[in-house]
Amino acid sequence: DDNQMKDPDMASAVAAIRTLLEFLKRDKGETILGLRESLTSATDCLTGVDSSVAVSSGGELFLRFISLTSLEHQDLSRCKKVMEERGELFLEKISMSRAKVAKLCHTFIKDGAKILTHSYSRVVLRVLEKAAAEKKRFSVYVTESQPDAAGRQMAEALRKLNVPVTVVLDAAVGYVLEKVDLVIVGAEGVVESGGIINKIGTYQMAVCSKAHNKPFYVVAESFKFVRLYPLNQQDVPDKFKYKADTLKTVQNLSEEHPMIDYTPPSLITLLFTDLGVLTPSAVSDELIKLYL
Amino acid sequence: MPGSDKETDLTERIEAFLSDLKRGGSGTGPLRGSAETARETTALLRRITAQARWSSAGDLMEIIRKEGRRMTAAQPSETTVGNMIRRVLKIIREEYARSRGSSEETDQQESLHKLLTSGGLSEENFRQHFAALKANVIEAINELLTELEGTTDNIAMQALEHIHSNEVIMTIGRSRTVEAFLKDAARKRKFHVIVAECAPFCQGHEMATSLSKAGIETTVITDAAIFAVMSRVNKVIIGTQTVLANGGLRAVNGTHTLALAAKHHSTPLIVCAPMFKLSPQVRREYTINNSNNHFVSSGEILSKVNVHCPVFDYVPPELITLFISNIGGHAPSYIYRLMSELYHPEDHEL
Repeated sequence: DDNQMKDPDMASAVAAIRTLLEFLKRDKGETILGLRESLTSATDCLTGVDSSVAVSSGGELFLRFISLTSLEHQDLSRCKKVMEERGELFLEKISMSRAKVAKLCHTFIKDGAKILTHSYSRVVLRVLEKAAAEKKRFSVYVTESQPDAAGRQMAEALRKLNVPVTVVLDAAVGYVLEKVDLVIVGAEGVVESGGIINKIGTYQMAVCSKAHNKPFYVVAESFKFVRLYPLNQQDVPDKFKYKADTLKTVQNLSEEHPMIDYTPPSLITLLFTDLGVLTPSAVSDELIKLYL
Repeated sequence: MPGSDKETDLTERIEAFLSDLKRGGSGTGPLRGSAETARETTALLRRITAQARWSSAGDLMEIIRKEGRRMTAAQPSETTVGNMIRRVLKIIREEYARSRGSSEETDQQESLHKLLTSGGLSEENFRQHFAALKANVIEAINELLTELEGTTDNIAMQALEHIHSNEVIMTIGRSRTVEAFLKDAARKRKFHVIVAECAPFCQGHEMATSLSKAGIETTVITDAAIFAVMSRVNKVIIGTQTVLANGGLRAVNGTHTLALAAKHHSTPLIVCAPMFKLSPQVRREYTINNSNNHFVSSGEILSKVNVHCPVFDYVPPELITLFISNIGGHAPSYIYRLMSELYHPEDHEL
């Protein structure tokens, strides 16, 4: 979280992985099993502070990667060295992932397009930056996204890019959709079914876009793929729905507002990831390849 | 010198192919089927492999990419050219990997798994020289050509599973694949076919004549009558120009109308498309192909009116029930998987 304060542009998952890597470097354990346990407890500690889906998926990927490496080397110190190298490599690769996503997605933004987006997403911002750099003219509607009004932050950032932007109420999504050509949102997590977990209000936006027949695009980096298969909104674990401090302090969760919701894959047109342009059905394929 | 003779011969052939492609698009030359185009492209690529000067796989891929860009620029709507080039590029990569003895060939795609396990940001630059590479690549291209030759038959062989007696089938325009499909089923089953004529070129008329010569009861209807007749139709079987990466289609104009009518009546929509029509493109901007305006007869209004005549339609994957290809039947949501087997992601952009 130190890391995140230093670089507000870094995704929380990346910050988490960087922290875990630091932890790995400083670990004085003697066995791989011990290493794994201490990393697991470190991840729990991280999710205790920031229980977002992305941190949890990032942590799990890192752990997974540790266990895949450890199968190859017998000697612990050499193993650790290899792990550290691979960790750095992993971080390097995922730092390029936003650029890859932007490169894939900006071609879908036509000249004169009107885009609707939800809340503050760094990936969407990157995509729009790239489109603006390619001299495309477009305008953006951003939802305010209460309770933290993150949409205003997005609008500020877009104004700096000289993109015409309008902030709309969360309730005005249905009203605005007839003017809009396409909808682009980020994701905090991409689940096994090909659906996404994102700031509350995304599901609503997706249902409305389906009703208006507008394409609903999701941009996400691949480290956000998470091994979860929610069947409905209730299925999403509480630790993702509410902030970590809320979980610790509040007794009756039913009086709290959830921060995220689940959008099923049937409402999503395409997902833009650093692994390519995927249809929602391709997502589970990718996850299987990893976790097999 | 025999070397330079070969080269000039090669460049001549490439130029001839390019001008053929350009003419085919403007409607003045003979209309080519896409199977023919695919075969000719592959044969030309084989010739390039055999005759051009290259020392490593990287060089060959560069040459093919360069020629490929010229070919796709000559006729952008003919996507089979690009598809064949990508297939050949994938063949070269595979043969190279096999010569190097690495087992990486199956894991060439980007994946989360690869992200975690690969040793480095190594760029395969295909610089190593292998003597047997040329022969291997040419052999693989020959296999590809044999596959291309068998596609229509392979699709037609599956006809009996899908067409039953006394059914009413609807189709639109003229597709050689669908024609073969229906004729194969007609050998053993009796059924009725309704062909939408597909104005303004009315290719449906030729299709109907050809089908009735094979003894199939055929009816021709206008495009406007599609919805009205749809309630009596059991199945809709169509061909397409391209299958897009998301499972959608780029097909002759009028197909989207047909697909919507079929969806409304819950009639299954079956697309007969060989694998070489599968393209890694995803639906982009709607571009109007205004190349064929000559059908509008002269008249006073011609100067006062703007005529838009799109040649192709986009059909979204939700409206399609089944794809029948030379390797079997697939759901539209499975197309991305087939694509990853046929093409390498780095070749999506030539």
